[in-house]
Amino acid sequence: MYKPNDLIFRTTTSLIAFILLGFSIYLLLAGHNSPGGGFIGGLMTSAAIILMYMAYGSDILRKILPVNYRMLIPTGLLIAAGTGIGSFLFQQPFLSHTYNHFHLPVFGDLELATAMLFDFGVYFTVLGVTVTIILSIAEDR
Amino acid sequence: MTFQIVINLIIAVMWMLLSESYTVPSFITGYLLGILLLLLLNRFIPDTFYLKRVFKICRLILLFIKELVLSNYDIVKLVYARKPEFEPGIFALPIELKSNWEITLLANLVSLTPGTLSVAVAHDNTHLYIHAMNIDDINEEIHSIKSTFEKAIMEVTR
Repeated sequence: MYKPNDLIFRTTTSLIAFILLGFSIYLLLAGHNSPGGGFIGGLMTSAAIILMYMAYGSDILRKILPVNYRMLIPTGLLIAAGTGIGSFLFQQPFLSHTYNHFHLPVFGDLELATAMLFDFGVYFTVLGVTVTIILSIAEDR
Repeated sequence: MTFQIVINLIIAVMWMLLSESYTVPSFITGYLLGILLLLLLNRFIPDTFYLKRVFKICRLILLFIKELVLSNYDIVKLVYARKPEFEPGIFALPIELKSNWEITLLANLVSLTPGTLSVAVAHDNTHLYIHAMNIDDINEEIHSIKSTFEKAIMEVTR
């Protein structure tokens, strides 16, 4: 079987993967006031990871990113459920969220919401599910 | 190269700290001052002055735009010819470029100019296989690519 030289694909991937990851983190954090959020951020991150898998193959990627993607699913679900259960601590109904303005020394005035933590849970779950599906189809197990 | 950029940034940040105004204009002032100092103390640094390389990059971009316009004109002439006579073919271009980024840049520049298309890279990275739409003379084609794009890329990276 003829195997072409993937030099151009690999060198451009090493640049584009970083751009994709940065954009996905932006999307994850932008979900409060503009389009974006945990779901699309997780999909974008998994797209970057799958692009790296396509370019470099699974053996090398396992060394670069030794992440167990199956473990990301319960982690994300735990974070999301934890934000819901955390509202019981303040005698509030389940999944009630709040926000507050914090004044940090460098960043200035920030509006931090607990809904962002829920978004992080969604992000990790989507990332884990997508990459697990694609990898298990690819490795045929 | 990177060392000079780091020094320039350090001077710019130092200028901001000393003038106690953390704004974009003061950063630009400091950066210009850093460029001036680097020009003055060019002999100290083993590498060439880094703005020369930036200038070379701008020249590469302009060269690419020029080639794009010219080759587009050639292709339009071919398309609208009454009886188009052209001879497509694939030839191997020996390259002297070494690093991955140089080869990638050359292959993409060749692909983006109409009339030529880089098909594959050889396994030992010594040749680039290029499909050309109209080859009169292979050696002439090789020479034209080598004298324009490869030379410009070499000037940028070395």
